[in-house]
This record gives sequence, C-alpha cells and structure tokens, in this order.
Amino acid sequence: MSTTSKVPPLTYRIIAECSTTKARVGVMSLRHSDVDTPVFMPVGTQGTMKGILPDQLITLDCRILLGNTYHLGNRPGTKILEKAGGLHKFMGWPRSILTDSGGFQMVSLLQLAEIDEKGVNFKSPYDGSECMLTPEHSIQIQNVIGGDIMMQLDDVVKTTTRGPRVEEAMHRTVRWLDRCLEAHQRDDDQSVFPIVQGGLEPELREKCVAELTKRKVRGYAVGGLSGGESKDEFWPTVHICTDLLPKDKPRYLMGVGFAADLVVCVALGIDMFDCVFPTRTARFGCALVESGQLNLKHKKYALDMRPIDDKCHCSTCKSYTRSYLHHIATMEAVSSSLLSIHNVAYQLRLMADIRQSITEDRFPDFIKKFMSAHYEGRKVPQWIQDALAAVNVQLDQPEVTQVAEEASLSE
Amino acid sequence: MKFAVEVASKLSGRVGCLVQTETGQKFPTPLLLQTTKGGSIPYLSREVFKYLTEDSQILEICLSTTDHMEEALKAFKSGIASFVGFPEYLSFVTLKDPCEESPSGFHVKDAVPFFTRRGKKELTADRFMDIIEVFKPNIYHSLCDNDTDINSSKKRVIKSVDRTENFFKACLERHKISETLRNSLFFAPIVGGYNKHARSQSIEFVSKHPEVGGFMIDGLHSNGEHATKIPRESLKDIVSHCVQKLNTDKPKMMLGAYTPLAVLELIRLGVDIFDTSYIYLTSTNSQGLVFDYNLAAEKRSNHLALDLNDESYAEDFTPILEGCSCLACQKHTKAYINHLIKTKELLGPILLMIHNMHHYLMFFESIRNCIAGDKLPELIQLVEGCVSEETVAKEDKKIPPILEQVEPASVAT
Repeated sequence: MSTTSKVPPLTYRIIAECSTTKARVGVMSLRHSDVDTPVFMPVGTQGTMKGILPDQLITLDCRILLGNTYHLGNRPGTKILEKAGGLHKFMGWPRSILTDSGGFQMVSLLQLAEIDEKGVNFKSPYDGSECMLTPEHSIQIQNVIGGDIMMQLDDVVKTTTRGPRVEEAMHRTVRWLDRCLEAHQRDDDQSVFPIVQGGLEPELREKCVAELTKRKVRGYAVGGLSGGESKDEFWPTVHICTDLLPKDKPRYLMGVGFAADLVVCVALGIDMFDCVFPTRTARFGCALVESGQLNLKHKKYALDMRPIDDKCHCSTCKSYTRSYLHHIATMEAVSSSLLSIHNVAYQLRLMADIRQSITEDRFPDFIKKFMSAHYEGRKVPQWIQDALAAVNVQLDQPEVTQVAEEASLSE
Repeated sequence: MKFAVEVASKLSGRVGCLVQTETGQKFPTPLLLQTTKGGSIPYLSREVFKYLTEDSQILEICLSTTDHMEEALKAFKSGIASFVGFPEYLSFVTLKDPCEESPSGFHVKDAVPFFTRRGKKELTADRFMDIIEVFKPNIYHSLCDNDTDINSSKKRVIKSVDRTENFFKACLERHKISETLRNSLFFAPIVGGYNKHARSQSIEFVSKHPEVGGFMIDGLHSNGEHATKIPRESLKDIVSHCVQKLNTDKPKMMLGAYTPLAVLELIRLGVDIFDTSYIYLTSTNSQGLVFDYNLAAEKRSNHLALDLNDESYAEDFTPILEGCSCLACQKHTKAYINHLIKTKELLGPILLMIHNMHHYLMFFESIRNCIAGDKLPELIQLVEGCVSEETVAKEDKKIPPILEQVEPASVAT
C-alpha cells in the first residue's frame, strides 16, 4: 500500500544529549512543522491564542500549539470543524497542533463527572443532558480536529489520591489506550500519545510504562501530576518515568510551565510542556522575566520608563514601557495581547536558550546561572536542589544559606 | 503644523493637506484621526496596526481615558504619542471618548465635568492647559462645553456657547504664551446645538482670533451610538450653516461615530477631519463593513455591514469581503470570526477591527480620489445603494460590546 511507504506522521531524532543530566535536544517532525525539543507549547483553548494572531505566533517562531478537545467539541463542534477541513484550516494556523483528550476538562470543570469502564459520564453544562465521553468518542473528535498529536483518554484521579483507586485508574488507562488506538482512523496524519498514570506510586508507574511500551506509539505523555501534590513527590515521579520510557521517543509532561519547573524537568529528560499560565497571568497584568514575574499594576512601575525586559526582542518590549503598560494593564483589551506576546516570547526564548546550552553541552552551567538569576540570591527551593542533584548537578548554595541558618540558630 | 486646501469644488467637498512643518509629514484630507482608548488603538497593538498601514497617523487621545497618565508623562517628557508606543505618529488631544456615551449635566461654574473609569473629574481652563502642556499634542482644541444634542433646551444651548467662549479665551491666553505649544495647531470648538443663532454667535466669537488653526464643529451628539442616529437632514442643515460662516482656509473637524453616509454628506459640505470611533463601534457590535466604495470596481455588496454574530455565518468559510486585501480577509473566514464572537475570544474584535479599519481607510482614500476627480456625487450614490433598509435595521440592533466580557478585571472575579 502506498500509505505504508509514507514517512510516519511523527519522527523524532535526537540531535544532542547533555553529558551530565538526562536532558536532550531533538527534532520532532510532524506533518505541519518540524518542532525543536525541548519545546513549550502555548495553549490556544478554543482555536485561538488569547488575543494573538497566528502571524504573530509565527513571528515568535512558535511551531506547535495546544487545542482543547472538550471546548472545540462543543464550539464550533465537529460538524463545523469537519466542513472546515480541520482546526488548522479553521483557525488559519499552518503549523502543528496537539490536542488533549477532553477528559481532564470534564473532571476539572464538571463536578458531576463520574467515571466507569465505558468512559466519563457528565452533565452537559450547555443543556444539562447526560453525556458520555468514551475513548472512542474522544478519538473521533480529535480525528476531526486533525491535530498532529492526540492524547488518549485517560482515567484521571486527583493527584493526591492514594490506594486502590490509583491502581484501578492506571489499569483502566491502559485498557482505554487500546480502545483509542483501535478507534483511531487517521494514523497517516496523526499520532496518539498514551499517558503514563500511576499517581505517586513508583511501582504503579513502572507497571504502567511496561504496558504502554508494548503498544505501537510514537511518543509518551506523563500524566497525573501538577494537580496539588508536593514538589517533593512531583519530581521523583517525573524522574522515574523518564528513566523507564524509551529514549528514542518524545516525552511530554502535561500542564507544567513555570520557568523553574521547565528547567528542572528538561534536566530530568522531558521534551514537551504546555501551560496556560503565561497567557492567563498576562490578562491579570503580569509579565514574565528572569526573576519571576512583574505585576505591572503595582504602583512602583508607574514611572518606570524601561521595557519589561531590555534583553527581550518581542514587539512589546521594542515599543512599550513598563510605565505605559502599568497604565493600561487590565483596563484596555490591548494590554492582554501585549503582555501575552511578551510572555509567550519569554517561554519560547527560555526553551531556545535551554536547547542551545544542551547542544553546546553547557546545560549544567546554564541551570546554575538560571537558578541564581531566578531566585536572585534567595535560597533555591530544596526540591529543585534535590531534583538537580539526582541528575548530577550540584547548585552551589551561597553562604547566604549558612548565614541565614546561623542567624536563625542564634535567635 | 499648517493646512492647505488643494482641490475645492462648490458643494462637492475639498481635498487638502495637513503638514507637520518640522518633519514634512503630510496627512491628506479628508482625514481620519485614529481614535484611541487609554492611548492605544482599541484592540490593536502597534505590531498589529502596522500590518494594516505604513502611512503615518494622527492619534486622537481622549483625556477621559488617559488623564491618569499625567504624572508619567511629566517624567517621560517626550509627549503622549511616543509614550503610547508610536513616536513617529502625531497626536490630537480631546476631552471625551467618542466611543462611549458621555453623561449629561453635572455642570459647575468655570469647569467642565468629565467621566473616567476612575470617576467623575472637573477641569478648569487652567488645569486643562496644564495637562495639554504635559501631553504635548500636535493638535488640540480649547476646553469647551459640548453637552448638547438634538433634544437640548435653548437655555442649555446658550449656556454652552457662553461657557465655551470663556474657556476659549482662557485657553487661548495660555496657548499664546506657551513655549511647549508653539508649534501646535489650536482648534476652536464651535458649539450651539441645533440652534443656528447660537452657532453663529459661537463662530463670530472665535473668528476674531488669528491664532485659531482650525475649527471643531461640536455639540451635536453625546458620543457613542448617538452619533450614528442623528437624522441626516438635521445634521446637514446645521453643519452647512456652520461651514458657510467659517473661514474657508482652515480645516474643519467633526468627532464621533457618524455613519459612512453621514460622513460623505459632511465631506460634501466641506468638513475635513473625522475619527475612527465608528470603526470601534461596528467592530465591538460584531459588524463587518462590506459597502462598496470603489467606483471603478464591480459591484460587490448590497449591504453596509454583515452581522457576524448571526448563526448563518457559522459554516461560511469565505472571507468577510471577497477580494479584500486585509489580513483578516486574506487569512480568516466568517465562520472562524463567528466562532470567536460566540466564544467571546479577544481575537474576534481584533480581526473585525483589522478588517473594518482597512475598509474605512480605503474608503477615505476613495473619497479623496473622487473629490479630486469631481466624482463625489457618484460615490455617494454608490454607498447609498448598499445601505438597504434591512442593514439599517441590523445596525440598530444592540449587542453589548465584547470588551466588557474580555476585560481581565472581570475575568478575575
């Protein structure tokens, strides 16, 4: 058959590996674009990145963005998306798209969701009717949306859940993966990523990966994290998963996007990230910078005539001062666009800097510089020190720590 | 700044040019000022606006949305246009936001009340001139009482003329001695509601002063949608009275969301400068402008505008206007915009602003060409042909502006 001779819809090639940590640089080739990894994927929930034109995203060299199946399935709905020829055409975005399964939104948005073997049962927020999202249904919608990467429907439990429910969810997730792969109609254009579940139990994660890697897939997601667990529980789980997952396929950590978390998780061997945070915080008047974020509504910026970041090349930093942004933030709609552009530019530039430092095999040095600038002389959180130590990077914690400790002892 | 009339035909409009003498920048009239909110063209960042046009613009800065920037501008020193991110553009400063209905009343002696998101404020002529010297506009008008419309009482109209005269006197004294405003064009407001006698009085008073660089015919509506609803005959009657009495060498300006047909009529009478508040209102009301303005092209439309919130566009994968070269029409469809409007996404009004702004800028270019070629009556006929009764009815339909729903402040609650 001619289709079998085609290049697969996802190929992943490692370009460089860090000689100290588990970090790697790769190229993920998709039908709509080549994506350099590690990559941050901005979230365009309803077929648009809040207040940003597709042309502007291309100017920022964004290669892939995320769409939410639950929202898109409701509006515009599959009928319109099918007639449009998929989401790429519908929203005028020529590059790659990843869609989630819709399951997470059901569980997080809808209090009435119930999960059984068939799927996720919920009351429609639109008309109150009983609906069911099955693995098959999720894939059908995602096939219509046409994203380059699709997520399997998984059995989501609260991250902090312990006990048999976690194990049940893990096994069900594996069974649902088989149903997703079975239902998938467009394997020439789209790739399904399975999701590693198993809560905070290393043995369950191990069992899950063992099952998932038996299936023919082109990449993996690590799920069930960043939902309220402590950071001391978070990073060892990521660490275990990347140890277990095959090296030759991309690994996606869902819902992680704070700058320090990105740096740590790249060191742990993650390749793909997404988060609504950069655009959401923009709407509240916050701009991302090396040291965290500036709340531009604060009166200390009223007369500050510097750009948000004088090293940033985004269109906002080229033409606007902190002072002007202070005066329009949260007041004029255009301020959301201006801060979103900067924040997305910040995330993409951070990832580009990370990739370059890995390629030049100076990533450990990059991490040290990043952490010292990010925490500005404050103590780097213990979990970050621990996580980085696990991949052979020792942060020199300045005497500040000792002095502070001595000070606290002498009190 | 200076103004020169290039082509003038009796009752068929005139073409002219505003020139920034220091830089040589030219702004052909009839001209659109770029209406701003908080100093920004609504919904459009500098980066996005530059997709629309490379031509230099004059920003219309409203004190009611920028007065809180005064302290910052003192520190910044280079004037409002640079502060809002457009150092190469010029600025015109006015008091009220033409996009929003201005509350009436609350008059006090020797001061003008105006309303900001931070509450009601009052401006005396001196305070107003203090602010103007900090904003450093290229064009501005003296403080005025323009709180009149077609329903105003004779008493209110006369009061507005008297008060405007007093403010004008005080502002002009300050203007004459101001070093900062030496090169700024000083416009005189003409008020008097729909009362010809009052208008004549207002005109007579300011005409005595050679320092006046132009006239703003004001006090005809209370801003926002009101400007779109003035009966054409009343508007024509009072504006033609004013234009006949005003010095023909100087530019005449009218602010507010006049409809395209009203604008054409006003241009025919000799008005030179308008603003883009109509574009803001149509865009936030989910309207995409489609009326014809090109005499040489094939007829494309029977409508003034399309209501893109209408369900009939949910599966329409064609652009707002076939053949339009704007970014919204080149890359996006009615179906997508319909989806963005229904999901209250910020990109909806952004794309509509892009299209409508492009359409209106092209419309004005066509107007200038038509006047130069003595074809304005034909253009008026063409646009009239597009405005069927059905679209006028749709235009009246009240759809709440999208801004209120996407504002971050409301998202936070």
